[in-house]
Amino acid sequence: MTPKGYINDLGAESLEQTSDQFLGKGVKKLVVNFNDVQYINTIGISIFTSIVQKTMEYDSTLCFTNLKKVHRDVLEMMGLIKYVKVFKDEEDALSFLSEKR
Amino acid sequence: MNKKVQLKRLMFSIESLVDLGQEVSSSKELTEKMKAALYVMTGIFPVPTAALFLYQPHRKSLDLLVEKGRRDKTKKKIKLSVLPEYTKRFKMNEPHSVRTMARTAFFRQNEDLFTLLQTTLFIPLFAKGELVGAIALGKKLGGAAYHAADKDVLRVIAHQMAITLHNARLFLELAKKASENKRLYTSMQRIYHDTIQAFAAAIDAKDDYTKDHSYRVASYAVAIARELGWKKNDVEGIYIAGLLHDIGKIIVDRNIINKGEKLTAPEISEIQKHPQVSYDILSKVKFPWKNIDHFVRHHHERLDGKGYPDALMATELSEGVKILALADAFDAMTTDRPYRGKMALIDAFQEVMNCRGTQFDARITDTFFHVLRKELSGAAKESHILPHLQGVDVSGFKGLA
Repeated sequence: MTPKGYINDLGAESLEQTSDQFLGKGVKKLVVNFNDVQYINTIGISIFTSIVQKTMEYDSTLCFTNLKKVHRDVLEMMGLIKYVKVFKDEEDALSFLSEKR
Repeated sequence: MNKKVQLKRLMFSIESLVDLGQEVSSSKELTEKMKAALYVMTGIFPVPTAALFLYQPHRKSLDLLVEKGRRDKTKKKIKLSVLPEYTKRFKMNEPHSVRTMARTAFFRQNEDLFTLLQTTLFIPLFAKGELVGAIALGKKLGGAAYHAADKDVLRVIAHQMAITLHNARLFLELAKKASENKRLYTSMQRIYHDTIQAFAAAIDAKDDYTKDHSYRVASYAVAIARELGWKKNDVEGIYIAGLLHDIGKIIVDRNIINKGEKLTAPEISEIQKHPQVSYDILSKVKFPWKNIDHFVRHHHERLDGKGYPDALMATELSEGVKILALADAFDAMTTDRPYRGKMALIDAFQEVMNCRGTQFDARITDTFFHVLRKELSGAAKESHILPHLQGVDVSGFKGLA
């Protein structure tokens, strides 16, 4: 998934819906690339929280890549980081996931 | 948590409250507004699942308004039962731990739904002492407990959300009342119109020859006023004036009205009293339209000052009076009278044109025949004149058009 711009309103719910669809179809590995994300507020955190929770319930792996420091700090402060795998870029994440059974 | 992180969290909470303020005061529709507020709230702690309910006093239930994070969405209609005695036990805008509520009848009655929504905290929302809604919050991500500081923030948020729900309810109640008033107004307006039409029919019934005369005059007047670009309310006013213009005829002897031969001077004098009597009757009625009494009083006036009852000159006549005068005279020409048969349309047209500028206003006359031509050619959206010319020979006029 490649969210873009400001993750600060209900428009970002589409991210949660997309991840719901993947998880519902049995997808076990999800990657969110934050490269084009400019801003995340509480609504964004709330949406990522639901995604993280559902990924855990489906026993799937969630990877975050290309996180800017400011976003990483927020996600870390809110306690989300410990439930996801963080990678520098998509290539690293995909390499990790290809090794993971 | 070290002090730096604590400070960051605090700053984030403050920013979140600003976000919440923006969401609840936005012009969005209530559901969208409250959903955004719920997302802001659940982003602060953070919480994966939550639901917001709206209290329905007449159903004594908290109905699900918005929610987030629930995996199993098969159950659509979610309502928590709230008997009035429960509401008294709720602490206003206070987070209640569901564990401590386990023994209450409220919890037992709604246990299945609390389980479905994975509720950990239940916050009843009160504004001005009245229950307006509730929030059901799930566990925090990772299952950590809600701390005292979290509950402080929740109280602030709950207060804001309660006020928003309260205001929305007030607005909805006002909108409902406005809609009810509008319905009543429309209904009264219909009764009013029906009553006036019944009066008009009673007036016309006095004259064997002029059945529906008032109705036709009203229709012709509407056709002219609309073409002249009158406002809707003023058009309605001239319609009512048309229906009631001859109400003064109730004092005129029926034998004079229906006399098949030339009237004597006293009889003419008697019949010419009717506009004044119409005015005397209608000036006592507080109509929602302007100048009804003025229109009916002067509908027999002429531009050249030879009309009655006041022999006014052209400059003293309003547009409404000029419209009514033409509509009245045209209908007299195109219907059977005790002393002659109805005129062909071309003859009525010639008669009106002969009096254009002396009896009838030129602009009003031209407008009337313009509308009639449009109706005859099928170019008019609605017909106000043509349907009333049943039995009138229109062929000559058509050729002229």
